Amino acid sequence: MVERSSLIEKQSARLSQYFRPYRKDLFGTILCGLITVGCNLTLPVFTRWMIDGLEAGTLTNQLLIRYLVYFVAVGAVSVFFSRYLRKLPMKLSHKVEYTLRNDVFRHLTRMDQAFFRSERTGDLMTRLSSDINIIRDSIGQGCLQGSRTILVIIMASFVMVLADVQLALIVIGLFTPMVLIFFLILRIMRRYQQELQEHVSEVSNYSQETFSGIRCIKGFALEKRRNEAFEGLNTDLIGKNMRVAATRHFLFSFMSFGFGLGTILIMVVGGRKVIAGELTLGTLTQFSAYLLYMQWPLLAISWVLSMLQRGKVSWLRIKEILDREPKIQENSELPMSGNRPEASIHFQGLELEIGGRTFLRNINLDVPAGQTLGITGPTGSGKTLLTSLVARLADPTAGSIEIGGTDIQDLPLTQLRGMIGYAAQEPILFSRTLEHNIGFGLDDIDGSVISWAADIAHLHHDVETFPEKYETMLGERGVTLSGGQRQRTSISRAIARKPDILILDDVLSAVDTQTEAAIMSKLQPVMKNRTTLFVSHRISTLRYADTIIVIEDGQITQRGTHDELIKLPGYYSELNTLQQLEQKLEAE
Amino acid sequence: MNKGRRFLSYAKPYSGWLALAFSLIMFTTLSINFLPVLLQRITDDVLRNDASPLDERLDQLLHLGLIYISIAAVGYVVRYLQTLLTAWIGQKIIYDLRLAVFRKVLRLHQGYFDKTAIGTLMSRVTSDIERLQHFVTEGVVGSIADLFMIIGIMGYMVWFSPRLSISIFATLPFLFVLMYFVNVKLRNANRDIRDRQSNLNALIQEDLTGMTTIQLFNRETSAIEDFEGRNKHLRSAYYDEVKWFSLYFPTMESGQIVAQLITLAIGGTLIMAHSDLLTLGTLIAFLAYLKGFFQPLGSLSDKVGSFQVAMASIERVFDLLDTKEEINDRDDVATPEGIAGTIAFNDVSFAYIEDNWVIKNLSFEVEPGQVLAVVGATGAGKSTIINLIGRFYDVQQGSVTIDGTDIKNFAKHDLRTRLGYVFQDPFIFTGSVAENISLSTPGVERADIIRAAHTVNAHTFIEAMPDGYDTVMNERGAGLSLGQKQLLVMARALAQDPELLFVLDEATASVDTATEILIQDALAKLMSNRTSIVIAHRLSTIRNADRILVMRHGELVDQGTHDELMANDGYYRQLYELLLHSPS
Repeated sequence: MVERSSLIEKQSARLSQYFRPYRKDLFGTILCGLITVGCNLTLPVFTRWMIDGLEAGTLTNQLLIRYLVYFVAVGAVSVFFSRYLRKLPMKLSHKVEYTLRNDVFRHLTRMDQAFFRSERTGDLMTRLSSDINIIRDSIGQGCLQGSRTILVIIMASFVMVLADVQLALIVIGLFTPMVLIFFLILRIMRRYQQELQEHVSEVSNYSQETFSGIRCIKGFALEKRRNEAFEGLNTDLIGKNMRVAATRHFLFSFMSFGFGLGTILIMVVGGRKVIAGELTLGTLTQFSAYLLYMQWPLLAISWVLSMLQRGKVSWLRIKEILDREPKIQENSELPMSGNRPEASIHFQGLELEIGGRTFLRNINLDVPAGQTLGITGPTGSGKTLLTSLVARLADPTAGSIEIGGTDIQDLPLTQLRGMIGYAAQEPILFSRTLEHNIGFGLDDIDGSVISWAADIAHLHHDVETFPEKYETMLGERGVTLSGGQRQRTSISRAIARKPDILILDDVLSAVDTQTEAAIMSKLQPVMKNRTTLFVSHRISTLRYADTIIVIEDGQITQRGTHDELIKLPGYYSELNTLQQLEQKLEAE
Repeated sequence: MNKGRRFLSYAKPYSGWLALAFSLIMFTTLSINFLPVLLQRITDDVLRNDASPLDERLDQLLHLGLIYISIAAVGYVVRYLQTLLTAWIGQKIIYDLRLAVFRKVLRLHQGYFDKTAIGTLMSRVTSDIERLQHFVTEGVVGSIADLFMIIGIMGYMVWFSPRLSISIFATLPFLFVLMYFVNVKLRNANRDIRDRQSNLNALIQEDLTGMTTIQLFNRETSAIEDFEGRNKHLRSAYYDEVKWFSLYFPTMESGQIVAQLITLAIGGTLIMAHSDLLTLGTLIAFLAYLKGFFQPLGSLSDKVGSFQVAMASIERVFDLLDTKEEINDRDDVATPEGIAGTIAFNDVSFAYIEDNWVIKNLSFEVEPGQVLAVVGATGAGKSTIINLIGRFYDVQQGSVTIDGTDIKNFAKHDLRTRLGYVFQDPFIFTGSVAENISLSTPGVERADIIRAAHTVNAHTFIEAMPDGYDTVMNERGAGLSLGQKQLLVMARALAQDPELLFVLDEATASVDTATEILIQDALAKLMSNRTSIVIAHRLSTIRNADRILVMRHGELVDQGTHDELMANDGYYRQLYELLLHSPS
């Protein structure tokens, strides 16, 4: 069978499209169901023949052996297909799960930064794991139990009616109300279960709050009160748990008793017919066997229904994501032009508004190719947003950015981002080797490039101390880097691409002044022939820039060279005084 | 297995109830499994007894039917009661255990919380305990019930017809071994699934947080490839599970079929030979027993293996319960009536991590009623002073005394009820505003709450909330601004009327000027006439302090009043100028 790993289509996502490739499995499931159920309903017929034969004294050794051979043969067929009745739909469900998960992930890789900011990672995780698991289970169990239950009910009713109409009516007459009552109680139980679930999360929220507020609790000596309240919550929990247990166990005892009732009703009513000679003893046993056989499928109906219900809810949550279109779209008619545009950046009347709040306004700026622009300003003034617009992590509300005279919205995304080396304020590294992380933007990892990039970011010496040098794993299963090391890795990663445009967003904040100076001097030649935008709070770094801009409250309030700005009253010169004071304090 | 026994000790208080539960299990086993005997009686004595008169046979049929129904009713009612009782016992045991864990966590020292993620603690009180609850009610009691059921049925079968019982004795060992084998395979597959799932989840988590980076470096394709690889890996573990799971029921079915086959063969031969050893009714009843026999067998073999999983949870829970509590009360604790309020540090040295001294040979004294401000650059060890007085940590060298008594001689609880805190990160509890201020301390009335709120300028905004003081706040005080939260926790500290007050007045951005003025005013009122130590960043608090300690790299470099220190023209003067120039 041809495996498809993705089924993304432009239209709204539909679950049925995930089934289409597996129609054969669905038919197979039903076929296996028909055979197994058929065989299972046939086995009691052989028993009946034997018992009737024994009762009438007509059974011979030869006949007995023949019946037993039938029994074995039909039994073997039943067992064989019974396995596939389970295997086919479950495997099918895992295939759907696999494809669906791939699709959701693939879709997520196209989503923009704003999406990831608005959606909590935990919530997306839940959709990719538990929601998809619920969908898978409802598909697997739905196909398996659903087809089996329907087949058993139809086929068993048919066979029972054939054997004896009166007894069949008794069974149907008894089971119909029983299943209805079962449903009713189950609904009550589900309500209790939901209340229990809410209470359970209340208990866990209470623990969570207690643990995260532990300092406050210790400080005010609240332990006793917290313990008492927790005790109270848990006492209620027992009550709620017991209510669910009481309903659930009642359900099962009630159903078991119901089947006992069915057995004896058939025995008594059927027994009267046996006495009257209208029915054989064997047929009676046959009915008892059917009764037992129908027990589980009948109970499974409600279970399957609730499973399907949950599956539907989860699918809607998945669909919600699949139907979200990424805001940053590529202009699809764009040809991938071979020639790279010149790396000059032109900001024209740029405005950025998010959720009704204006973050950037009236930004007009020219950065000639090969020049270095320093950006500074108070926290939250929009510096990072400005740099992220260049890499199209978001699109401006108004105005435009041009690179080499071309609006960046007219450049293919991969080409635009391929030109840029970006090191973010809080660098994200991956739990892979250091080499993998530094060479993250390279198609082929070249050792000399890696060590060159690491050397410039002053990381080379640190690497020498790592157990496996560049092959050292980062993160939980390897070394944990310090904040400064993370930033320097991120710088290496950005320059390893040898980009035309280098964006460094406050990347030296966690690095001490000496290292900073060392890195800056090594970065100088790298920045020489590239267009560089760097955000910094340090005068010592900013002075390297050809031009410096100060952004306050989303607007450019000062621009000029270090020597110019230092003489003007304003943010820049105040920053300068403050940092000189700090330096004096350090030097003490 | 020691931990297992220890776990069982939690059941001890309920041993009487457990004994009752087991006798009920015994009763149901005997009564419910008696039912097929009646089927045999009906078959042999009524249906096949052509000799007796028709009326008598019909009467007897009805009679036996009624007995059957009565026994079934009693049996299932008792079984229902038994399951309820078992569930209740399980709930009680888990209740005790959960409270024990919770209490333990609250007794642990602050250093433990620095090292342990809250998520880890949460999974102890939630998922581990839930797993144990399942284990107690379903696992332990369930498997005993299953065992009783199997033994009960076997007893009846042997009593009924030793010969036909060959069928189960011939299949049982094979079947049990087979089922056990399948269960082991299934559990292995499940472990693989769990591992691979968490492997995949780790990748998802990382990629989702780093998606922007992936996009910036044009790595979408390789991220997708990695993802699909791990997803496929997970799928193959699932396929493995399906392989074994799809064998589970068919194995049971084949056992059932073989046992029926043997029964029919033996029964058929015996009856054909007109042997007195077996009646047709017995054969029919026996077939009924066989149907009921395999279900508990399957579930038992399943539970036997699940003990392993529960043991892991037991282990983790007891490890937590056994964690050493590093800050303990002495046996002979002092309980002073009131505290005058002289706090003294005598040559104190302290390190959070061994040999990494945060405070070195620190000595100072605060007089009752004095306000002491501590200033210094970040990392100078200022807030550690507060941590030490509240015994969040114990000093390694030297001593901290209150009114001349080493604080290690106070009971932690007594000590802390006399201390009040205003932390830099205000913690708001779920509950009403009033509860957040009073902390449900006995004796703090509504009037006190309102007075406290008034004093710290919180009354106005509280009154403006939908239900005033009864407004219920959700987690972490969402909806309140940071400044409002700070005022609220000040009202809280004031309402507790502590004898010693500690304020962490770290510089907080994003508080507007109007609120800032309210906060400064509130701080001043809070500390007036109260022994207070304030880790100060606001110029106003520093200037208003009676005395200022200047800290640097864990050492005391200078102390005195603001004017004295300024006159010294030393480190303090520079710090002060820096604060003057700091934005906001």
